[in-house]
Amino acid sequence: MKTLCVSLLLAICSTGASAQDVTARLAGRVSPDVAALVHQLAASAAARGLPIDPLIQKAIEGSAKGVPADRVTAALRVLVGQLDVAAAALRDAAPAQPDTDAIAAGAFALNAGLSGRNVTDLAAASRPSNSMAATLRVASTLAAMGVPPAQTVELVTQVIEAGGSTTDVLALPTQVMAGVSEGRGRGVTPAQAAAGLARAAAARANAPGQQRPKHPHP
Amino acid sequence: MTMSDFHPHVKQLLDGELTLADLPPELRAEGEEALHLLAAVDREPVTFPGLDARVLARLRARRDPRGFWRRLRLRPWTLLPAFAAGAALVLLLSRPMASPPATTVTVRFVLFAPDAQQVALAGTFNQWDTAATPLLRTGTPGVWAATLTLPAGQHQYAFVVDGARWIADPAAPAVDDGFGRRNSVLSL
Repeated sequence: MKTLCVSLLLAICSTGASAQDVTARLAGRVSPDVAALVHQLAASAAARGLPIDPLIQKAIEGSAKGVPADRVTAALRVLVGQLDVAAAALRDAAPAQPDTDAIAAGAFALNAGLSGRNVTDLAAASRPSNSMAATLRVASTLAAMGVPPAQTVELVTQVIEAGGSTTDVLALPTQVMAGVSEGRGRGVTPAQAAAGLARAAAARANAPGQQRPKHPHP
Repeated sequence: MTMSDFHPHVKQLLDGELTLADLPPELRAEGEEALHLLAAVDREPVTFPGLDARVLARLRARRDPRGFWRRLRLRPWTLLPAFAAGAALVLLLSRPMASPPATTVTVRFVLFAPDAQQVALAGTFNQWDTAATPLLRTGTPGVWAATLTLPAGQHQYAFVVDGARWIADPAAPAVDDGFGRRNSVLSL
């Protein structure tokens, strides 16, 4: 009973603290209507274990860009939907409640063009030594660069399976960009550069005992 | 008779300044008595009833390790898991670990905007504040730049030209911002 009371008290205090944090961050940055909606959505999202920072950021971004309140509201609702889908996709990969960083990264991946299934596959490919959030962020960056979703998943998965660290995964967008720059004369696309990297990673994964270069080139 | 009651010459005898023969005949008896008393005091052992027994009992208690564990209400082997966990922690901490990714990264943002009067950078890293991060003119005409140290992670941003025009970075990938425009993406 004593433990229950303490837990309840802590939960109430933390909810109060996060509500104060939301108020402080939105103060003077968004209209009262948008602020009220963010409060409502954030409370509901937090109760479901979703991150609230992306909601605050999106509201501030919309107001900074001079976007009408109704469009900001619509964008916030879309974002909440993406966070929910990302959380579900991550739970499909691992039964434990995903951390808020990974959910935010998953929602951004969805916004960048990946599907819920892609997010699940990437999360399943992540190993304890790899940051799931970093893996998803890299995948969304690759998608934003124009690498098709299926190819993005294949490249990231191959690098992880070849024993690549989080640092190796984080280097992938730069490597794809370098591949595009090097092959500019031949009209190499981000998809082709990514395919070259994936082949190299697969070769490393299938060559046991072979010394793995830290940063492979296509 | 106590020591303080002796004649001054007898006291000199006791201090070794005089001998018994040096004393006047009428003080020799007193001198002999004083010497006898002094000898009695020197030779008699000082004893405190029961002290030896108490000291020895204390020493025995200190030497007995079972007494220590009894006072702790523990058995020595109950601490073995704690010692094992401590040893494992020391081994884990002393193992060479893979270097973690950098926590901050320095990035240079560049925009070619020859007609701009002012250019700023707004994004998730500065709460989309259009006044927080102005770009400066470089030596090359029309080229604006800013160098920032950002925390590792993913950032979205855009250039703000003349306080009103939002432009995605032509040199970076971009995504839909949800408002009909594009945000540039930076993964660090």
